[in-house]
Amino acid sequence: MINFGIEFVPRDLYWKTTFYAIQAEKTGFNTLWITDHFNNRNVYVSLAIVSAYTDKIKFGPGVTNPYMAHPIVTAQAVSTLNEIAPGRVVCGIGVGDKTTLEMVSMRPSKPLATIRESVRIIREITSGKNLEMQGKIFAVSGAKLNFKPTSKIPIFVGAQGPKMLALAAEIGDGVLINASHPKVVENAIGFVREGVAKAGKRLEDLEIAAYTSFSVAREPNKAAKAVVPVVAYIVAGCPETVLQKHGIPMETATKIRQAIIQGKWKEAFSQITDEMIEAFSVCGTPETVVEKIDSLVKVGTTQVVAGSPIGPNIRKSINIIAAEVFPHFRDKEDNQHD
Amino acid sequence: MALEKIVRKIPSSSWETTSERLIDIVLNSPNANRMPSGLAKTILYYWQRDQLATEVGLQRLLEASITVDPEKTIDVLRELGFQELVTVLESR
Repeated sequence: MINFGIEFVPRDLYWKTTFYAIQAEKTGFNTLWITDHFNNRNVYVSLAIVSAYTDKIKFGPGVTNPYMAHPIVTAQAVSTLNEIAPGRVVCGIGVGDKTTLEMVSMRPSKPLATIRESVRIIREITSGKNLEMQGKIFAVSGAKLNFKPTSKIPIFVGAQGPKMLALAAEIGDGVLINASHPKVVENAIGFVREGVAKAGKRLEDLEIAAYTSFSVAREPNKAAKAVVPVVAYIVAGCPETVLQKHGIPMETATKIRQAIIQGKWKEAFSQITDEMIEAFSVCGTPETVVEKIDSLVKVGTTQVVAGSPIGPNIRKSINIIAAEVFPHFRDKEDNQHD
Repeated sequence: MALEKIVRKIPSSSWETTSERLIDIVLNSPNANRMPSGLAKTILYYWQRDQLATEVGLQRLLEASITVDPEKTIDVLRELGFQELVTVLESR
């Protein structure tokens, strides 16, 4: 079964994000992810208010990182959310956005060990256990919450490169593949299989999410215009190996990153090409995005996340997805069950 | 005239359309930060309960849209044919 997720960036006023979250629930999205960047509104405050105005949709940070927030704090935050909305909380964690981390002089050092240990800490603490751990990165001595977590919180690991993808599959309940192109996702799932095999798990037990930058509109040029800033951030923070696959020179990505850091938005966005949009987003008319989602499903994706910007007008784009995208996939499922 | 009385002049057959148009104003206004937090929470409450296209929901939406963009609100009401409402709002 294909699930649909949606991502909101709490750059907007809190009540707008909450309004869209309610709309996402009403229209049938399964999971809502809110990004975690220090320069936007706080992810957990945003999620707390979303939890108060929704009843069914699952939600969580998508994704937090262990460099800005110690995993014990993440465990505490998601456990508290799970008390407000039992069984609806998921936790997305990854190495974080390089560009934003650089703004506060943080470097995502030893990412594999950091994520492995972080996931262990979050899992143990959210399970109510007393944790003793002397890791390479984190040392935790007798840490335990003073309240009882109500239910298991699935942990999704955000990943892009081969090693992180394998690790995500090995230790996560789900993998958030930071990619929009079906070929890239297909390639990524190859590494996911390695991780699953290493852990002795079944691939079917793992949720495989394509965390896409998404933009849908009736006019393709409007959809493209809306997605350019997001694609610029993606290219700026992309590993060289991924850039190479799409034929994008590292120097271009570096220029875009520098322009973003310096707040030269026009300069950064002007370097985004149609090829970059095609490589790093699901973008276009409803028909176009249905085709692309279909390709993502065919290569093994089990959750498609409609990530920022969603479209030039978020409310209209959510309605377009509900009316013209969901039926394509949900009718298919109904027919398969007949 | 109070918003309660103004909204009563909108025929129920137009509640849905009016609600949609006012929501667009509120969400897309560059002055959205003028919205009082208490009013925002009331609107979210009604939205969660599918009551933004009811008399009470429209009252709060109209209050919000006038707060964030009075000119556009009047334009939309005029476009929807509610000239009497426009006259009342312009005289407030």
